[in-house]
Amino acid sequence: MDSTASSSPPSPLPTSPPVARDLGAVNWRGLWTLYAKEVRRFLNVSTQTILAPIITSLLFLAIFTLALGRTIPSLGSVSFAEFLAPGLIMMAILQNSFANTSSSLVISKIQGNIVDLLMPPLSPSELTLGLACGGLSRGLVVGLSVGLGMWIFLPIGLYDPVFVVFHAVNASLMLALLGMVGGIWSEKFDHIAAVTNFVITPMSFLSGTFYSIERLPDNWQLIALLNPFFYLIDGFRYGFIGHADGSLWVGALVVLTVNVGLWTLVHRMISTGYHLKP
Amino acid sequence: MEPNPSLAPRSFGRLNGRGLWTLIYRDLRRYWKYGVESIGGPIVSSLLFLAVFVLALGGQGEVGGGLTFVQFVAPGIAMFALMHSGFFNGAAPLVHDKHEGMIQDVLSAPLNAFEVAAGYGLSATLNALVTGIAVLAAMTPFVALPLGQPLVALLFAVAGAALFGLAGVLIGLWADKWDHYSAAESFLILPLGMLSGAFFPLDGLPALARTLILFNPAFHVIDGVRYGLTGYAAWAPGASLAILLIADLALAWLVWRLIAVGYKIKP
Repeated sequence: MDSTASSSPPSPLPTSPPVARDLGAVNWRGLWTLYAKEVRRFLNVSTQTILAPIITSLLFLAIFTLALGRTIPSLGSVSFAEFLAPGLIMMAILQNSFANTSSSLVISKIQGNIVDLLMPPLSPSELTLGLACGGLSRGLVVGLSVGLGMWIFLPIGLYDPVFVVFHAVNASLMLALLGMVGGIWSEKFDHIAAVTNFVITPMSFLSGTFYSIERLPDNWQLIALLNPFFYLIDGFRYGFIGHADGSLWVGALVVLTVNVGLWTLVHRMISTGYHLKP
Repeated sequence: MEPNPSLAPRSFGRLNGRGLWTLIYRDLRRYWKYGVESIGGPIVSSLLFLAVFVLALGGQGEVGGGLTFVQFVAPGIAMFALMHSGFFNGAAPLVHDKHEGMIQDVLSAPLNAFEVAAGYGLSATLNALVTGIAVLAAMTPFVALPLGQPLVALLFAVAGAALFGLAGVLIGLWADKWDHYSAAESFLILPLGMLSGAFFPLDGLPALARTLILFNPAFHVIDGVRYGLTGYAAWAPGASLAILLIADLALAWLVWRLIAVGYKIKP
């Protein structure tokens, strides 16, 4: 410290007037920060978020193969376990990408740190993209881990990787967006638990994970065709075993339409501040 | 001068019955307060399991003892819900009380270690029984169960509810945070419950697995309840009951001793 600096008082005003920071068209740094926060949230507790789904899926594979394996006729050259495995991978993707965004939003709202999302210079589009990509990443990481875990026990071959990747990405995105809708709507943990128990779990269980819908009675088949999760599982499974119950192009169209619709809904909820802003 | 009678120590007799009931009643109230999740959740997920088995199989397929597969699996699904609920209702109140600091209210109340252990253990047992019976009742419109010896089934259900309730209390004492609870649930309770013969008959298993499954207490709960409800048992029900009662007593003793020494609940 020299004597001149300590003797003259600091100027109360900055020499130039404050200027708004220019963030450009997209606040890349803010978007990346939000995305990194969402990814670190689940990597920090990877025992629960990655290892637990692997164990649960392997247990499901074990019990359904043991319970139904002998009685269910194999579909052509595909055994029941090979039929089941892609469905279980998809179910893990669905449940985990939903859990990521919904828990993030509900916890932030209850603990009050939702303002840390609403205050920074992030537009509704950037918030939607950042949170959705966090859920998307969890879905893909869990899906890949569960797939590798099953591959140890079961020969899982790829028939058409394009369908595998397309449906894995769209499933993660769809459930991440649904998790945001649920998380924004919920005001306490009970609400989101009810959505998980009474909407997401039934829809993923009854979507053809465990059986081919060709085995269902006609009216049940119709109901299954109205469930968007069915197209996710059906297309995903086609990528592995080369057999689909429904039309692949209708499936891809339904999935893309639902995702565009959900994205618009989430964007609208965030920009109007529905259940987010006072 | 006469001592003020209100300052004399209160006499509770050998057992502080009112204190014990208050502790039990508090956790029964907690259970009912979240009834949508604590009863509605297991009912929905159990019916989904049943639906998947019925839809995938068309309700067909014979298992040993002349049962259809759905008759075989329904008691297993109900007991899976009961055991899971017992574990949750044993562990969650303790983890919650420790986390929020409310465990002090229990420790400073005139309850001895036995009464505290009995309070947490019995409330978990009762809550688990309610869940199990509700799930079984919800399945009866879809499955015809002969209900041969309902009291035998109830006895096994009580033994299983107490076992998993006490296991929950044990995990609740040990867990420092919810992560620990989740880890115990994912890596201990779910594997025990799923690999217990609840969902598949034993004759499909390799010989080694058929021996190993006898070391899983959940197998004995499910096999005994299934025996009471359908008359079909894969192993000896009498021996199963003896194993369960011994395990119940051992766990109850362990929980009692841990609470008496204040393991992870007293500074």
